Amino acid sequence: LISKRKPQLLPAGCSHVNAYKVDNWRPNLRVIYQCFVWSGSAETRRRKAKSCICHMCGAHLNRLHSCLYCVFFGCFTKKHIHEHAKNKRHNLAIDLLYGGIYCFVCQDYIYDKDMEQIAKEEQRKAWKLQGVGEKYSTWEPTKRELDLLRHNPKRRKMTTNCTIGLRGLINLGNTCFMNCIVQALTHTPLLRDFFLSDRHKCEMQSNSCLVCEMSQLFQEFYSGHRSPHIPFRLLHLVWTHARHLAGYEQQDAHEFLIAALDVLHRHCKGDTTNDNGKKANNPNHCNCIIDQIFTGGLQSDVTCQVCHGVSTTIDPFWDISLDLPGSSTPFWPLSPGGDGGTVNGESHLSGATTLTDCLRRFTRPEHLGSSAKIKCGGCHSYQESTKQLTMKKLPIVACFHLKRFEHSAKLRRKITTYVSFPLELDMTPFMASRWASTNYLPPGLYVLVRYALFAVVNHQGTLESGHYTSFIRQHKDQWFKCDDAIITKASIKDVLDSEGYLLFYHKQFLEYE
Amino acid sequence: MKMENMSLSGLDNTKLEALAQDIYSDLVEDACLGLCFEVHRAVKQGYFFLDDTDQESMKDFEIVDQPGVDIFGQVYNQWKNKECVCPNCNRSIAASRFAPHLEKCLGMGRNSSRIANRRIASSNNTNNKSESDQEDNDDVNDNDWSYGSEKKAKKRKSDKNPNSPRRSKSLKHKNGELSSSVNTDPYKYNYNTGINYETLGPDELRSLLTTQCGVISEHTKKMCTRSQRCPQHTDQQRRAVRVFLLGLSATSLPDSNTAVESDGYDASDGQVLMSRLQWDGSSDISPSDSASSKASTNNSDSKKPKKKKKTSLNSTGGGGGGSGSVGGSSSQGCLAGQANRKKPKLPVPPAPSIYDNLN
Repeated sequence: LISKRKPQLLPAGCSHVNAYKVDNWRPNLRVIYQCFVWSGSAETRRRKAKSCICHMCGAHLNRLHSCLYCVFFGCFTKKHIHEHAKNKRHNLAIDLLYGGIYCFVCQDYIYDKDMEQIAKEEQRKAWKLQGVGEKYSTWEPTKRELDLLRHNPKRRKMTTNCTIGLRGLINLGNTCFMNCIVQALTHTPLLRDFFLSDRHKCEMQSNSCLVCEMSQLFQEFYSGHRSPHIPFRLLHLVWTHARHLAGYEQQDAHEFLIAALDVLHRHCKGDTTNDNGKKANNPNHCNCIIDQIFTGGLQSDVTCQVCHGVSTTIDPFWDISLDLPGSSTPFWPLSPGGDGGTVNGESHLSGATTLTDCLRRFTRPEHLGSSAKIKCGGCHSYQESTKQLTMKKLPIVACFHLKRFEHSAKLRRKITTYVSFPLELDMTPFMASRWASTNYLPPGLYVLVRYALFAVVNHQGTLESGHYTSFIRQHKDQWFKCDDAIITKASIKDVLDSEGYLLFYHKQFLEYE
Repeated sequence: MKMENMSLSGLDNTKLEALAQDIYSDLVEDACLGLCFEVHRAVKQGYFFLDDTDQESMKDFEIVDQPGVDIFGQVYNQWKNKECVCPNCNRSIAASRFAPHLEKCLGMGRNSSRIANRRIASSNNTNNKSESDQEDNDDVNDNDWSYGSEKKAKKRKSDKNPNSPRRSKSLKHKNGELSSSVNTDPYKYNYNTGINYETLGPDELRSLLTTQCGVISEHTKKMCTRSQRCPQHTDQQRRAVRVFLLGLSATSLPDSNTAVESDGYDASDGQVLMSRLQWDGSSDISPSDSASSKASTNNSDSKKPKKKKKTSLNSTGGGGGGSGSVGGSSSQGCLAGQANRKKPKLPVPPAPSIYDNLN
């Protein structure tokens, strides 16, 4: 007879702690953690170093433990703590290095939920004191989740060679522009994490929440289905909520991105952590996931040429639109040598224009000219001024829009100038003056402005007829080409050699606020 | 080993080395201990097994990197028959035609009001359905729809590429006039063309069925003369008609999953068929050809290995690149209004008497 019962799991905790968990045990335990385990400050560290030695042999290593019932330190390796436990019948001790609780009756380390709670809290406090801040902790399943997982042994893990997370999208009739944006969004790591951990709590009464549809989209992408998804509901919802997009006007991928982010942001009201509900629509105050990820702050400094007073405004942005050489607006300020950059036609630069060139141009001080005088608050009159744009707040995801489609009154064309863009981008030179490279940045801080490319949307063809495709990054260094329903593997070279229309960069290191 | 303050200055190199070595080995040991605790806790809390995966099913999800197939190992361009239900009108729409449909359905297109008025104005005769759908096609494929840039101005009709599909489509409405490769009304086509299988012997039937679709129309009782990949009928229907006409030993159809460039009828097949059957009248080229550019160039284009959507001849331009191969999308569009297209059932074998005749 084979028992059909599932193998019993030994309980993680034990009953012997019950004798300990009486009276003032919580604050007592906290003190032990604060003083002898997690040293938050240099002072506590010194105290720990000096006082935590084995009462029997004087060692400060050898897996030193502290008795939970009295002030006794004993090393584990030489079994001095065991002796103490036996002699005094104090059956619980704590490992001073990692804070684990050892039960001498069970003769094993035990994990009691309440005690672990205290341990975690004290550890967090110590990290804060040390200046480490929040540390990433991995997910742990709850008992219920464990149960579910145990009953479903056919698990799939996302390895680097896994197709899960990738899926084609059916073209609904010239909707490749939408498909590319969907691919970029579903491969935005933070957005993916938000939706896959089910963070959206919908407060919309009707069925027309775009955030819910987005959530559904992620489910589709991670379902393991191989046939392409038909994003008809998404199209319907976007057109319903962004009427200006619908129909024949503006089938531009960039336009669609902005409209989609806008609708998502509006529909995210339920998720804002901000208690000021009325501010949900104000990008400066909203704290929805869209704002957290995509919203940056663009600082505009207008300097009066007479009194040199500076007027500063900060505007939120979701993308940076960059002029290209070859457009009707001059790219480079006319300077001698090298940077030719003619007004029309091809660039005569010796090397290709880079994204950094475009950003440099974007953030250069610009004389506004005598025809655009501003009212200076200091001079109380209209004066000539210079204007400069810089990044005040960097978004976690920075989207660069290369302005390839030009349509002025006389001219309608696509600028196909090749712009070289990097896999990694350093935004330091484009930060607002307080951050400027003139200030010394301690080495650790430097990495905070490093960005990594993770999606590229390309347009092939002419202004009148063309096709959008995209490249997306998966698993750190794998790239895939998304051509509507067809997903194929791509090389980094394919990506970097492509023309580039929308470039998506993701901050490499995130800090907790 | 008591803790004591120690000055490093008085120590020589070997002592310093030994100290450094001590510190290093302590750190390594601590790190190992930490890992042990992690594993110990995972086992005790019961989540150590989480890393286990089902190896068999994992294999199904391995990325494929071969030419001609996508990362799932699927051949390109097999998704033409996808359908979806419009959230607005609840009709079942071909996925690749959903966007133009939705534009009208929501009343947002430039021509929506014009079409609506036209519909109201015209009478309710049966032929109207296909005609108005054709007009929808015409409007839908209007270049205004297909812009993919930030254009603000509408493109004038005069700016249209003279080779664009719109030109040839407008020819469709001229009464009776057909270019050699443009089919007028596919609906009418079914009535006038097709082969009567009753007049053919088993050998002729067999050879016929190797080159053409052959599905028997319920209306006309004639066989479809389109290619074996004709979009109007399913492989199941084709198989059924072969079983019906040739018996259970009927040859199987070619694998419908092979990459196909054009969904439509190939002109060369038409030539062969015409000479064989002394077919008179309009050719058997499917509506898909008419939808894409000029006749002769179009046919050769459709055979190009590259995807159609990248060429400027593509009827769907602008931001979209077309929906699947040109042939497929357009033909689906043209036929969307047809009753035949929506029939899910297989053609029912006729009464035993006809069957006996063949034998």
